[in-house]
Amino acid sequence: MTRTARLLLFALSCLVLAPATLALAWHMPAFGAHPLPYGEAINAVATAERHVTNMVSAVNFDYRGIDTLGEESMLLCAVTGVSVLLRGARGESTRARPGRVHGQPLRPRSTAMTLIGRVAAPVVLLFGVYVALHAMSTPGGGFQGGVIIASGLLLAFLGDGYRTWRRIVPSHLMDAIEGGGALLFALSGLLGLLTGAAFLANVLPFGEPGSVTSGGLMIPINLGVAGAVAGGFAVLFGEFLEETRVELSDRPAGGDT
Amino acid sequence: MTLLIAMLLLLTALAGTGVVLSRTPRRQVMAMGINGLILSLLFMALQAPDVALSELAVGTAALPLLFVVVLASMRMDRTPRQDEDA
Repeated sequence: MTRTARLLLFALSCLVLAPATLALAWHMPAFGAHPLPYGEAINAVATAERHVTNMVSAVNFDYRGIDTLGEESMLLCAVTGVSVLLRGARGESTRARPGRVHGQPLRPRSTAMTLIGRVAAPVVLLFGVYVALHAMSTPGGGFQGGVIIASGLLLAFLGDGYRTWRRIVPSHLMDAIEGGGALLFALSGLLGLLTGAAFLANVLPFGEPGSVTSGGLMIPINLGVAGAVAGGFAVLFGEFLEETRVELSDRPAGGDT
Repeated sequence: MTLLIAMLLLLTALAGTGVVLSRTPRRQVMAMGINGLILSLLFMALQAPDVALSELAVGTAALPLLFVVVLASMRMDRTPRQDEDA
């Protein structure tokens, strides 16, 4: 498509879409003053009904838990898909050497980087666990905590390199944590069925509002989400980092051996 | 508070434009990470700490990292050396 044709198409679509966009913007509620019927309702009832103080977690893990189960399975499928696509001999052994960029020397890691990695990794990991555990009382939850935990694990790679990272983040363990987390979520849902209630019905005691043990069934669900997300992201990072390795026997496909 | 939100909105627009205007993949990844950081600050100012945490963890840490690794992997020289063929 030539430049003139592109500009013509752009002008034409502007002519059609601009009035609609303007009309829509004109009828939007003022900034920050939009009505939130569902949000208001949750804010009003959730603390009394479920003994939790973080409404986002109450919505995610309880009121629309089945939605979150779907999202969890989506993450599981995405990570499984990436693992299947990137699976291969490359980088899976710790003896694999780092890949080289043509014309660029491999520089050794600086001492400062190692120090930052070693100091920051435990702090970040601890913060991730804190965010994940306090899902029902403060902002955050299994998803955010899980991603922070996975980032903390990754600092081991930045600080100490690929071999150390593979040793302290074993991929089979991460696979198990990811799958086990998703399984824990699904099994938590079945608990309701055992007592004669609906799937994912919150049948456990709700606990004290504002404490770590509040929320009843949301606690195992949140732990499941944290495990699935932390494990999933760690597997994802692992699969991608393996691609930067070169096996000694790395040959193009269709070789004679 | 209003001034803070106005400034963050302006920064978001600038960072977003930066993502669109940067041409080399490495700069695009960096621009995207900065955009994510500013977005998470904006979410924080709009009193959505949950979303801010998610944006920070995914948009500023995980996603740029995956892109950087992919870029590094793509630039790698993987042609087998002759002396290894045996």
